[in-house]
Amino acid sequence: MIFVFRNNTIEQFLGTGYQFAGYDDVSQVPDADAYLWWYQVPLRLSQSQLVEEVKSYPQKLQFVANRIEKTFYIFLLVQHYFSSVETGNGELSEAIDGFNSYVRELARSHTNVKVIEFGEFTCQFKVEELIDWRYFFTAQIPYNPQLIRPFKNWWIRKQEEVKLIRKKCLVLDLDNTLWGGVLGEDGINGISLSGDYPGKVFHYWQEGLKDLQSNGVMLAVCSKNNATDVEEVWLKRDDMVLKKADFVAVRINWQDKATNLKELASELNIGLDSFVFVDDNPAERELIKQVLPMVSVPDFPTQPYGLPLLFQKLVQMFFGIYAITSEDRDKTKQYAMNAQRVKAQYAFENYEDFLRSLDIRLKIEHINDITIVRAAQMTQKTNQFNLTTKRYTEDDILKIISEGGMAWTLSVEDKFGDSGITGLLIITANGVIDTMLMSCRVLGKGIEDAFVNYVLNDIKNSGLSVIYGQYIPTTKNTQVKGFWTKMGFSLIGTRNNGISTYVMDLNSARLKVKDYYKIN
Amino acid sequence: MEDKIMNILRVVLENNSLDTTCSQENCETWDSMHNLNLCFELEGEFDIMFEPEEMAAMKSYLDVVNIVKSKLSNNS
Repeated sequence: MIFVFRNNTIEQFLGTGYQFAGYDDVSQVPDADAYLWWYQVPLRLSQSQLVEEVKSYPQKLQFVANRIEKTFYIFLLVQHYFSSVETGNGELSEAIDGFNSYVRELARSHTNVKVIEFGEFTCQFKVEELIDWRYFFTAQIPYNPQLIRPFKNWWIRKQEEVKLIRKKCLVLDLDNTLWGGVLGEDGINGISLSGDYPGKVFHYWQEGLKDLQSNGVMLAVCSKNNATDVEEVWLKRDDMVLKKADFVAVRINWQDKATNLKELASELNIGLDSFVFVDDNPAERELIKQVLPMVSVPDFPTQPYGLPLLFQKLVQMFFGIYAITSEDRDKTKQYAMNAQRVKAQYAFENYEDFLRSLDIRLKIEHINDITIVRAAQMTQKTNQFNLTTKRYTEDDILKIISEGGMAWTLSVEDKFGDSGITGLLIITANGVIDTMLMSCRVLGKGIEDAFVNYVLNDIKNSGLSVIYGQYIPTTKNTQVKGFWTKMGFSLIGTRNNGISTYVMDLNSARLKVKDYYKIN
Repeated sequence: MEDKIMNILRVVLENNSLDTTCSQENCETWDSMHNLNLCFELEGEFDIMFEPEEMAAMKSYLDVVNIVKSKLSNNS
């Protein structure tokens, strides 16, 4: 039960679970779970009466605040109309400001006091919508009863903010969402990101999103686009405020967005109910609403100039929080190591120079008693860069080796840090690559090519000459569908269940490893 | 319309056994606070606005029906 100090009839706005002091009665502070101070500037017309009245509030508030140790929500005062005849006389505004600064001061010395900016609610309405004088004069209800529902929603959200409850991840589309235009049609230089309208809107919008990110909100991209085109935007468009490193995850593919979102949820290890999905395409929004009803899907403005309103809505409804904790800020730091790598990318004209600068050291070794633990674990956990998705225990792997197979692990280190064992390749006695997987953390640097070619060289030296590759499709590993072809294998055939088999003759293959990877 | 009014009365006054004879006299929950709730539920449902005098005059089911009816006929 929340106990409420008030000077008007506000019962209808709060509903059950509240008990109310008498009008302007501060004599009693009964036991309660929490307390609420919600006074209005009295709806009177005589300025001098109002000033005296409002000036008395800080003292009354202090009187109860001293007796309250539990959470005490205090609504700031809002001036709804101006009726001073002497317009240069700001006494009423001053009295209101005085009360409000007193509340803020109180919150600094009492951690249980939570300041609630009531103006955030009232500023959405015109005065004539806000106050229904019929109800005021008949029942002393200060606000229009029509606003009960929006008020209740807003107030629930405010309490969540105080309890530090909010959404965690904002998933954004790209074309006509983060920038104006369609990248695939308008080209890198054709999309709007700054300058005149509409570029300016997208610039402001991205600045706002950047602010969310630095306040602990995870941003992710989910877009149907060519990944290489988008990479180029990040490399070449300086006016793209949100850099690749600002996103905890980037999904640029042609897979349906519901699947992408589900994958993101498991990858980031947060519930789908912590996601907010922003996309200009109503069909995509509808898909998410239907398939993943727990994801919040706000409407998207039909015109770019509607974006500031959407941004305010995102903050108010989903991402606002009473105070940012250090954990919130750290959450984005967890990704800082990766982020640094991506940032370093911008300093180079071409990607190879960038890779060279990373000082990548690969450690590729035959599996041993120590690494087998991690190897088995990776077969259990790796979903995306996994050609066959076979789940193994340590014993399973030992069995393959005892039958004449071989297994290699890969560790990756670069100048930003050590990723540990992040790759595994298992080959059976008859030359079939049974398992090839890599952790997503190390992808995007061509390491997978170096790993495979190095291992194939190793095999060649051990006497095998024909090697088979396999691709077993799952819902999560579509990104490696073309991997064996890319590595120079030839497709033998694809069965009805989608499993493809590839072959390579090691004697005629070119197994080059780029010189900028230092191996072992 | 009468059905809608009865429904609103039952919901607002939290009493499912109310019938057309109910009034502030014989219904315990029908106090001034609930009368207000009743007014703005009716206003929302029928898209009308009561004058303060009309709110004060709603003392029974029959009063409510008469007042709502007169409002609706004035509107059209």
